Amino acid sequence: MLSERVLAPADLQDPATFSQGIPQEAFAEMRARPTLSWTPPGGGDRTGFWSVTRHAPVSEVSRDTDLYSSAVGHIQIYDIDDDALSARASMIDLDPPVHTRLRRLVSSAFTPRHVQSYETAVRARIAERLDALMQSGGGNWVEAVAAPIPIGVICDIMGVPESDHDYMIELTDHLVAGTSSKPLEPSAYGNTTDLRLLPFNSPAAHGINEYARALGERRRTEPADDLITKLIEAEVDGERLTDAEFTNFFRLMVFAGNETTRASMAHLALHLVEFADQFERLRSDPSLMDQAVEEVIRYSSPILYFRRTLTRDTVLQDTPLRAGDKVVMWYAAANFDEEVFDEPLRFDVTRPLRPPNVAFGGGGAHFCLGAPLARLEVAILIESILSRGINLRLAGDPVYVDSNFVNGIEHLEVEVG
Amino acid sequence: MSADLVRVAVDSERCIGGGQCEMLEPEVFLVDDDEAISSVIGSGELPRDRADVVVHRCPGAAISIVQPQRPSE
Ligand code: HEM
Repeated sequence: MLSERVLAPADLQDPATFSQGIPQEAFAEMRARPTLSWTPPGGGDRTGFWSVTRHAPVSEVSRDTDLYSSAVGHIQIYDIDDDALSARASMIDLDPPVHTRLRRLVSSAFTPRHVQSYETAVRARIAERLDALMQSGGGNWVEAVAAPIPIGVICDIMGVPESDHDYMIELTDHLVAGTSSKPLEPSAYGNTTDLRLLPFNSPAAHGINEYARALGERRRTEPADDLITKLIEAEVDGERLTDAEFTNFFRLMVFAGNETTRASMAHLALHLVEFADQFERLRSDPSLMDQAVEEVIRYSSPILYFRRTLTRDTVLQDTPLRAGDKVVMWYAAANFDEEVFDEPLRFDVTRPLRPPNVAFGGGGAHFCLGAPLARLEVAILIESILSRGINLRLAGDPVYVDSNFVNGIEHLEVEVG
Repeated sequence: MSADLVRVAVDSERCIGGGQCEMLEPEVFLVDDDEAISSVIGSGELPRDRADVVVHRCPGAAISIVQPQRPSE
């Protein structure tokens, strides 16, 4: 007998559901249910899926890569063909042990110990942007501060020259636009590849691949102390990365290192205004910095979800699941789980660090590679804002990124005093 | 108050080089600069409560408590 399926109370495939940020009410309703909620197939590439909204089962799914695969099926909420899956695959779309071998090529550059060596450069980028904003008296916080800082930092680490940073911002912006309801022209950026083979079905992915290829070629003859050179020279089991492995790696790094941290930095402006008392508290007790950073990241939950595919039958949160079923881990829902976070909608810089929020993933093999770097960037941004005595005022409502995947802000007009 | 010492170990197959262990317990863990795999340096002994924190914090679930030691006097 089929057990009865409880339907998700909102259309989680429609970017419009996220047009004002996290749909708190729908998520709260889903968390309160004893079982997982079901979204039936929506036609075309929209398979049905189970939504995981509580903290504990998100961690459970996240940590069990044998049972909940990233390689079988797509980790985003729509389906793509097998040839498209393999054409796009970077480590985030693979399972251990292949995943682990790729991740080790870059992981030493992102350990908490190693990221300390980026501090001076991060501080300088932040100072430059804040000082410019203060001089102009205001503007679009996203364009002036939240976007250029993370892309600058990750481009430096990768080895993308400063003169190309704006181009990288443009390309990665369009990549997210691929998850929205307004797609680009298929031939944009000189694209000739079938869109279904490109990440986010976006021609901008073609632009990024071409850029990576050209820069890789250059580093072959002029090696530098950067990650591009490391990837060009890297060997996995005695073999160099293939062209696709290399370009997919590059694309993952610039996207993941950029769009996410930008979202937290954009939301930070809202937090500074709305929860000014919390930042006063931090100013009087700087030892709260780690907690404040974690609270900004939890409250902004930049990545809304990732999806996994069941490799065997199992039961999760009293819900029977079948091999091949899709489960979506809604990090943005688990981060407001009232069982774990006391009064979750309260922004609180004194919130304990454990249990951790799941904005960087619920733990396990794919746990965000850049977490220590993102934390460093957000901490220095907060510290620099406080030390300059910047007083932000909103001069307009936030315009959210049109996406059900990234909780980003596209535009936020501010005035500074 | 319990001052139980336990011994910890890293499963190098599972380690994803997150570096949390090294940050929390620099006397016990070292993440290799090239391979970014953590290993235990020295005796690998930690008070149980601190060992629990590292085990819990390891994003790759690669750290385990292998051997409870006798309580230290
Ligand atoms: C606030 C900022 C950030 C957030 C919220 C975030 C969030 C995430 C999440 C949710 C995942 C997937 C975790 C999982 O599947 O268990 C992830 C993976 C990843 N992140 Fe981040 N991230 C951020 C910043 C960064 C930065 C700065 C980098 C730069 C290196 C980065 C690089 C990556 C990479 C490469 C992966 C894939 C790791 C793998 O598959 O092993 N992220 N991130």
